[in-house]
Amino acid sequence: MKWETNFINLLCKLTAMTMIDDFRLLERRGFKLLPYKMVKSEDGAVAAARKMGYPVALKIVSPEISHKTDVGGVKLKIGNEAVLRQMYREVLASGKGRRLDGVLVQKMARRGVELIIGGKKDQVFGHMVVLGLGGIYVEIFRDVTARICPIGKEDVLEMVGELKSHPLITGARGEKPINAKALENLVIATCRLIEKEDLKELDLNPVIFDSRGCDIVDARMVK
Amino acid sequence: MASRGMLKKLKRLLEPKAIAVVGASGTPGKVGNVITRNLIDGKYDGGIYPVNPKYKEVLGLKCYGRVTDIRGEVDSVIVATPAAAVPGIMKDCAKKKVGGVVVLSGGFEEVGRKDLADAVKTIAERGGIPVIGPNCLGIYNPYNHVDSIFFPMYKLGRPGKGGVSFITQSGAVGSVIIDAADNYGLGIAKFISYGNATVIDETDLLEYLAEDRHTSTIILYIEGVKDGRRLLRAMKEVNRKKPVLVLKAGKGTAGQAAAQSHTGNIAGSYLAYRAAFRQAKVTEARNLDELFDLMRIFGQPRAGGNRIGIITNGGGLGVLTTDAVEEEGLTLATLGEQTAKNLKGLLPEYANIGNPLDLIADASVELYDKAIEEYSNDSNIDFIIICVLLQTPPMNEGIINVLTKAAEDKRKPVAVVSVGGAYTAAYRKILEGRGVPTFESPHAAIKAVSKFIEYSFYMKKPRLKKAPGP
Repeated sequence: MKWETNFINLLCKLTAMTMIDDFRLLERRGFKLLPYKMVKSEDGAVAAARKMGYPVALKIVSPEISHKTDVGGVKLKIGNEAVLRQMYREVLASGKGRRLDGVLVQKMARRGVELIIGGKKDQVFGHMVVLGLGGIYVEIFRDVTARICPIGKEDVLEMVGELKSHPLITGARGEKPINAKALENLVIATCRLIEKEDLKELDLNPVIFDSRGCDIVDARMVK
Repeated sequence: MASRGMLKKLKRLLEPKAIAVVGASGTPGKVGNVITRNLIDGKYDGGIYPVNPKYKEVLGLKCYGRVTDIRGEVDSVIVATPAAAVPGIMKDCAKKKVGGVVVLSGGFEEVGRKDLADAVKTIAERGGIPVIGPNCLGIYNPYNHVDSIFFPMYKLGRPGKGGVSFITQSGAVGSVIIDAADNYGLGIAKFISYGNATVIDETDLLEYLAEDRHTSTIILYIEGVKDGRRLLRAMKEVNRKKPVLVLKAGKGTAGQAAAQSHTGNIAGSYLAYRAAFRQAKVTEARNLDELFDLMRIFGQPRAGGNRIGIITNGGGLGVLTTDAVEEEGLTLATLGEQTAKNLKGLLPEYANIGNPLDLIADASVELYDKAIEEYSNDSNIDFIIICVLLQTPPMNEGIINVLTKAAEDKRKPVAVVSVGGAYTAAYRKILEGRGVPTFESPHAAIKAVSKFIEYSFYMKKPRLKKAPGP
C-alpha cells in the first residue's frame, strides 16, 4: 500500500506544481499576469504584499482543494499588514487536514467585466478559442462562443457580438466600454498559444477588463 | 475523402445512363424489389440492369448473375445485399469500370465491422470508384428520375425539379425532408444520403454540388464529420458560390452519443461545429422547422438591405409582423414620398398610408397587385412581406397569379404570410409549388428573412484577399 500512497502524493504534487508552471509558461509567452507570489509562511506573505503593494488577495493552494472559495480559502481586498496576518491564519485554517503547497499572494485585481478566455483541442476541428462571460454567472448563462484557430481581428469582433452579454463589453448604462484592443490581443494570443503549445485545454479565468486594460487573475491548462 | 478523379466520376454516378441494381428481387417488400420498381415507375429512361444470381428475370427485366455479366456500360450501381457480399461486388464493379456505386446496406462501421468498410474503401480507391454509403438511402435526382430510395413511392413523396440539393448523413432525416418538401410543393435538384461516408463524405459532396448546374442552394444535414478543418474550408469556398444551409444534430451530450453509434462517426463538440459554421458564414438552422423555412427563402434574389416593407389586408397580422421585424433586429421601411402619393390615389380616403400598409379587409386582388407594384418600385424597401388573409370575401384564386408574379418579378425578394386552416393551407401548397415562399406564421417568415438578409449582407461585402483562418 505504501507505494500507492507515495504515488498518489507524487501525483498531487505534480498537479499543484502545474499551477505555478502554467503561470510561468504564460509569462514566457508574453501574457501579463497579475503580480503573484507563492509563499509558505506568514512573514513571507507580508514581504510579498509589501513588494507588490496593497490591496492584495490570498488564495490557498492545495491539490486537495479545487473550490477554494467554498472552504474559505480565498480572501480579497486585504488593505494592510495587520489584516493580512489575520487573513493568512484564516486561510491556513481553512486548509486544515489537507495537503498544502502554500498560499498565493496576489495583487488585487481591478474591478470590471469578468470574462473567460480559453481554448481546447476539439477531436474533429482541432484547436479552437473560446470567449465567454465569466464570474458567478458563468454556470447560469453559459454565454460562450468559439472560433476554430487561427483567427483574426474580425473574428474577435464577431465573437463579442455573439455573446448575449455583449452590452457589458461594449458599454451599458453609462459604463465605459472595456478596452477592445486588450481583448482582441488577448484572444488572438490565446489562440496562438494553444496552437503553438498544442494544448488540450487552456482557461484564463477570470480575466477582468475595464476601459484601460485587463488583469489575468487565474489560469489553468492541460497539456 | 475522395480523390479528384473520383469527384469527376460523381457526375456519372448521379446522372447515369445505365443503372445496375445488385440484389434486385421479384419479391414485393424486399429492398431490391422496391428500388427496381421505383426506377421503372419513376420513368427512369436509361438502362436498368437487375443483378441477382437467383433470378433470370426481375419485374419483366432480364436479370444478370453478376455486374460483370452485363454487356453495356454501367454508370451507377445500387447495392442492396447483405454487407458481407459487398466487397465481392465492389471487385466486380472495379473490373467492370463502373461510374460509381451506392451501397445502401448497413452492417459496416456502425456495427463494428470496420474490416468490411476497409475492404470497400481499398477497392474503391484502387479502382478510383466513388462510393456513396454504406448504410444510407443513396440518391434521388428528379431531373433524370434516378432513385435509390428504398421507400415505396406511395409512402414517401418524391419532390419535383427545383434548385435545392440535400446532403444528408441520416437516411431517416433525409427521407423526412424530401417527403415534407414534396408535401410543401418544394422542388429539389439532388438528394444524396451518404451514411457512413466510407469513401465519399459530406465535404466531397459539397464540392461537387458547388459545380452542379441544377443546384442553387445546398442543404447539409450532419451528425458528425471526421475532418472538421476540411469541411470548414469547403463550406467557406462553396458558401461564396451558393448558399449553404446546415443543420447539425447531436448538439448535447446525449445527442452526441446517439449520433456516434448511429453512423459510426465521432461527433466532436457542438461549440466547435457552431464556431466553424459562423466562420464559414453558412446559415445554420436550429431545427427541422427552421430548415424548411430557410429553404423557402433562399431561392429569392439577394436583399439589398434590411428595410422591410409589409403589405396586409388584416391590421393585426401587420402588427404581428412588425413585432417580429423588431424582434429580429430588422428595420421597418419608411415609404418613399412618391410611393405614399401613389398609394393615396389607390386606397380609400379613410385608409392610413404607411408601412405596414393595411389594405383593409375589403381589399381586392387587383389592389394587392397595385400595392405590390408600388412597393417593388420603392428604393426605400429591401424586402417585401405580403400578408394575405385569404378568408376575406373579396379574396379569390386570382391572388395566386398576383403573388406568383410578385415572386417571379425578382426586383426584390418577397415572402408571403398566410395564416389559417385547411382552405389557407391548400393555397399555401399551390403557392409553394409555384415558387412563392409562403409561411404560416409571421415569426417563422421574419426569422428566416433575417438569416437570409444576413447572408445577403455577407455576399455584398468584398472578399478579404488574405482571409485569416484555416
